Amino acid sequence: MELPIALSIGLLFAAAVYSLLRPNLLRMVIGFSLLSNAVNVLMIACGGFALRNDAPFVHDPQMVVGLMDPLPPDIILTAIVISFAVGALFLTVAYAVYREYRTVDPEALPVGEDAESAS
Amino acid sequence: VNSLITVLLVPFLTATALALLNGHPRIERAVNVGSCLGLTAYVFWLLGYVDAHGIQSSAIAGYPPPFGIALVADRLSCLMLCLSMSVGTVALLASLRTLTATQERYFFHPLFQFLLLGVNWSFITGDLFNLFVAYEVMLVGSYGCMMIGASRRQVHQSLMYIAINLVGGALFVVGIALIYALVGTLNFADLAQRTAALTGARAALVTATSMILLVVFALKAGTFPVFFWLPDSYPVVPAGVNGYFAGLLTKVGIYSLLRVFVMTFRQEGHELAATVLLVVAGLTMLLGVLGAVCQWEIRRILAWHSVSQIGYMVLGIGLCTDAELAPAGVAAAIVFVVHHSVVKSSLFLLGDAAELATGSSALKRMGGAAALAPGTALLFLIAALSLAGMPPFSGFLGKLLLIRVALQGERWVLVTAAVVTSFITLMSMLKVWSYAYWGPPCRATAAEPSTGIAAPAAVLVLATIVLGVWAQPLLRYVDDAAAELTQPTTYVDAVFAERAQAPPLSAALTRAAR
Repeated sequence: MELPIALSIGLLFAAAVYSLLRPNLLRMVIGFSLLSNAVNVLMIACGGFALRNDAPFVHDPQMVVGLMDPLPPDIILTAIVISFAVGALFLTVAYAVYREYRTVDPEALPVGEDAESAS
Repeated sequence: VNSLITVLLVPFLTATALALLNGHPRIERAVNVGSCLGLTAYVFWLLGYVDAHGIQSSAIAGYPPPFGIALVADRLSCLMLCLSMSVGTVALLASLRTLTATQERYFFHPLFQFLLLGVNWSFITGDLFNLFVAYEVMLVGSYGCMMIGASRRQVHQSLMYIAINLVGGALFVVGIALIYALVGTLNFADLAQRTAALTGARAALVTATSMILLVVFALKAGTFPVFFWLPDSYPVVPAGVNGYFAGLLTKVGIYSLLRVFVMTFRQEGHELAATVLLVVAGLTMLLGVLGAVCQWEIRRILAWHSVSQIGYMVLGIGLCTDAELAPAGVAAAIVFVVHHSVVKSSLFLLGDAAELATGSSALKRMGGAAALAPGTALLFLIAALSLAGMPPFSGFLGKLLLIRVALQGERWVLVTAAVVTSFITLMSMLKVWSYAYWGPPCRATAAEPSTGIAAPAAVLVLATIVLGVWAQPLLRYVDDAAAELTQPTTYVDAVFAERAQAPPLSAALTRAAR
């Protein structure tokens, strides 16, 4: 179980970094969503893999042993919500930039734009 | 006390109410200012209470730590909360002067409260994952405040600010995941306990993993290799709110460094982080100030100085390489945090006031603000001298403490860097003074009255004088705060005090986890 998961985490990170480094805002948005998913899979792997398939409802303290750790899925849920919201925001800003400058290439945006040139 | 959640609930509920009140600017302003003043009073009371009765902790929903979410108020948290709320109130009052109707209609008031919520949350949380969530809340609030009104320049610069913080947030979760896998907990108190017992390969793994978190916090604080986002993004923040950005947002990074790297990670070889920070500190100080001297726009100059001054605080943390100097170094860093929040915030606000008076933010076109707005000019001079480290203001105190500890630690290169940076800071502040304030006035009368911004900023300038002249209470308090951080036993005890009354489920989980 560890090897395929580890490989897919590595692949996701590689794809995310590649996309983030492209001079294209849309690819950056996609890269960010890949990155957050890579992180989520990493978090699952860090929680360890279940030894038993029981749901973590505990009635008897003896039963706790061997269950999957419920905390990493909790953390992932929170992280998914956050990355979704922030990703949507980033996409909106990317669109606003496109509307202002008619380009999705961040390198084509004016550099060092300050009050002197703007006003 | 069990009321720690107030510092989160008040901004949250206020933000919700303000969102519903959108379209009634006068009521919105009254509610926003009222809520800020009330919470400021509460956090100052909390500071006194914690100072008298020791560290307070409260477990949300009754699940005791380390399983539940803990809110912990120790001396450092309380001090940061007081800074956040008082600088926040001042910045809000100043921004009421410059807000446009459009900005108010596009939810300025709720966004500002969410910004406060995120910052307060990161100061009071007791675990690493909540620190991440607090960062994100703060960042979303800051994106909103930065882009509000959505001018061309704002959109362009905030794009890069958002992009860099997205990557920072993802890295933060990577760090959290690996720390959880290695140590099995995210609660600061529990981490401090467990990492203290680590040695050998396991300790080395934790140290390596903690470097990921170091990068995240350094990014947030704006230190040497990762400061490039700061000088570009701060100048586009609307006048008024930029006082809060400059005063508090980078301090959240410094606070996290103090909390996580001074208090929490105590495994064998944890000094590596401090050693890295020492190098980072020197480079941040020098490069920041060199960046400042070649700028010609008042806000960009101040933003570059922010980078440079962050170096001093990081230097204080870096001095923890030597266990004997650690309390003094941390205390000096905390004093510097207080000084810099107050002074940099007032400088940004007074820079805004000078912009209003002269109608420009480009130094070469300003000129004569001293004649147009004499009060603003006097306040700016005091704040600028304090930033450069002249007595009797708080900047002198901060630098004196830091350089004294660095001399004790025989860090000659860093002492030289700190002193040289001080001189260049003074030079750069004199440049601002002579171009923007002295000389023939660039216009016959002030373009716009600036008292609305200068009056709130005067409170902060007064604070820098008082902290410099009557420093003893602050120094005593900060020494205690530094002792709590460097010897976290009282912190750990306070957090786990509630475990005694644990409900049965958690007690079972506690047994099973052992």
